[in-house]
Amino acid sequence: MSHPSITDTSGLDLAAIRKQFPILSEKVHDRPLVFLDSAASAQKPDAVINAMVHTMHHQYANIHRGLYWLSERATEAYEAVRDQVAGFLNAPSREEIVFTRNSTEAINLVAYSFGSLLTPGQAVVISEMEHHANLVPWQMLRDRMGIELRIAPITDAGDLDMEAFGQLLSDGKVALVAITHMSNVLGTITPARQIADMAHAAGALVLFDGSQAVVHHRTDVQALGADFYTFTGHKLYGPTGIGVLWARRALLEDMPPFMGGGDMISTVTFEKSTWANVPHKFEAGTPAIVEAIGLGAAIEWVEKFGFDAIAAHEQALTSYALQRLATVPGLNVVGQPKERGGVISFTMADVHPHDIATLLDRNGIAVRAGHHCAEPLMRRLGLTATARASFGIYTLQEEIDVLADTLVRIREFFV
Amino acid sequence: MTQTVPDSDALYDRVIMERARAPQYAGKLEAPSVQGEGKNPMCGDKTRVDIALDATHIQSVRHTTRGCAICAAAADLMAQQVSGLDVAQAVSLSGRFSAMLVGEASPAAPADTSLGPLEVFQPLRSHKARIRCAELPWIALKEALSHADV
Ligand SMILES: Cc1ncc(COP(=O)(O)O)c(C=O)c1O
Repeated sequence: MSHPSITDTSGLDLAAIRKQFPILSEKVHDRPLVFLDSAASAQKPDAVINAMVHTMHHQYANIHRGLYWLSERATEAYEAVRDQVAGFLNAPSREEIVFTRNSTEAINLVAYSFGSLLTPGQAVVISEMEHHANLVPWQMLRDRMGIELRIAPITDAGDLDMEAFGQLLSDGKVALVAITHMSNVLGTITPARQIADMAHAAGALVLFDGSQAVVHHRTDVQALGADFYTFTGHKLYGPTGIGVLWARRALLEDMPPFMGGGDMISTVTFEKSTWANVPHKFEAGTPAIVEAIGLGAAIEWVEKFGFDAIAAHEQALTSYALQRLATVPGLNVVGQPKERGGVISFTMADVHPHDIATLLDRNGIAVRAGHHCAEPLMRRLGLTATARASFGIYTLQEEIDVLADTLVRIREFFV
Repeated sequence: MTQTVPDSDALYDRVIMERARAPQYAGKLEAPSVQGEGKNPMCGDKTRVDIALDATHIQSVRHTTRGCAICAAAADLMAQQVSGLDVAQAVSLSGRFSAMLVGEASPAAPADTSLGPLEVFQPLRSHKARIRCAELPWIALKEALSHADV
């Protein structure tokens, strides 16, 4: 079979990159693993694995508490990641970086703490293409605080409907716009700067769910005009159990704590406690120390290649995949957003997404199938489930060929 | 690479594929005695089962299934196998079907408890994520039978 060829201008040495991911040389059902589910969680390079192991071998202890050498080393390593994350997001200050368990917890933190400053009559706007993580916390806030939750529609192509969005802001009641920076289903990269400008003009703040976006391109929270930004470590080649909330310092200072406990206090008596300074006010209890250090290693690892190269590689792969999938009989790519990251959802006539995923798996190919934690979006699209292929820094063009060729045979098997 | 067969361990048995493509018990009953529904929140799949009962036995069964091949075939073969059984027998069959999918591996079952055509689903034992697909119609069946007044 001859395919239109593409040029991957990224200059990444993919063979060398893949060698750093031990899992990529595993076999699944006796086939070489073709891992196309990085949007759910990315694989981990040796640099991350080793940093975590090294910590536990040589410099592990609880942080911020011990007065001994090990605890000081662990605290330094943990706090150094805060600087790294600040640099990664171009945040004005390291004190604006709050470590959480994941993106979900970061959004819940904002919904709870910032949300408790809202009053009935105010509104929060989300979009139709949100992950449940950026939807359910706002529903809970609505029910707790009596605020209004407004849903900004998307177009059939899968872009935010900017005109309708503008109208939702027009009565000046909106306190916060919370929108994904990149859809985990449609791959849509939303026009964040424009969204922020419109929100601010209407007197609202803006939160971006960057869970998908930070993986694919450089993130600059100041250039985006964001007020809150969240992401999750495990999609960025880092470990599970560590996520990040960035928020402007003045906001963090005004917000009440999310959880109470050790590490987040200044003084405690039985009558009353006072809170530690930001960001510690929001980091109650022993944090994910080893995981934070793993995240630091992941960021260092990613930054070594640079987002120019990563984005070029993933753009090339995505265009190639769109071309190749278009040749599979009966296959329909869901959404045609103006700007798309390395995520492609699709359906195939006569073959249910679960059957697609199971049969791909029999051939060593890992994709996701289901509603992708975005049930309302599925309903909006008139679907119950899709299959989704997503790409990472280690994804090869040949793997997309294997995917497309196998899909052709699956379809033949079914009709 | 290009010569790989899509399904190497016969999970998608010929019978399953045939029933998924051309179900024999799909549709609705004019006047069902009882109805039940099963939904899988993980994928949005859904089966609705209509059952006509006489005093003691299941006279006929029809299902409306929106789901994958496994789910569609499971619904159709279930409808076939429970037709003519009494309620207790149907519930017992349902239990044995589940046991085949998720139970402890048992020494060869006695002949009278054989699951017949339902045994095509046996390979699902090693596909934990898909077991729910085959069980969905049985959930609908059990719900329907729970309304039965026998
Ligand atoms: C867009 C988006 N938001 C939020 C999340 C939630 O991430 P986590 O489960 O790590 O909190 C995900 C990941 O599934 C996602 O894709």
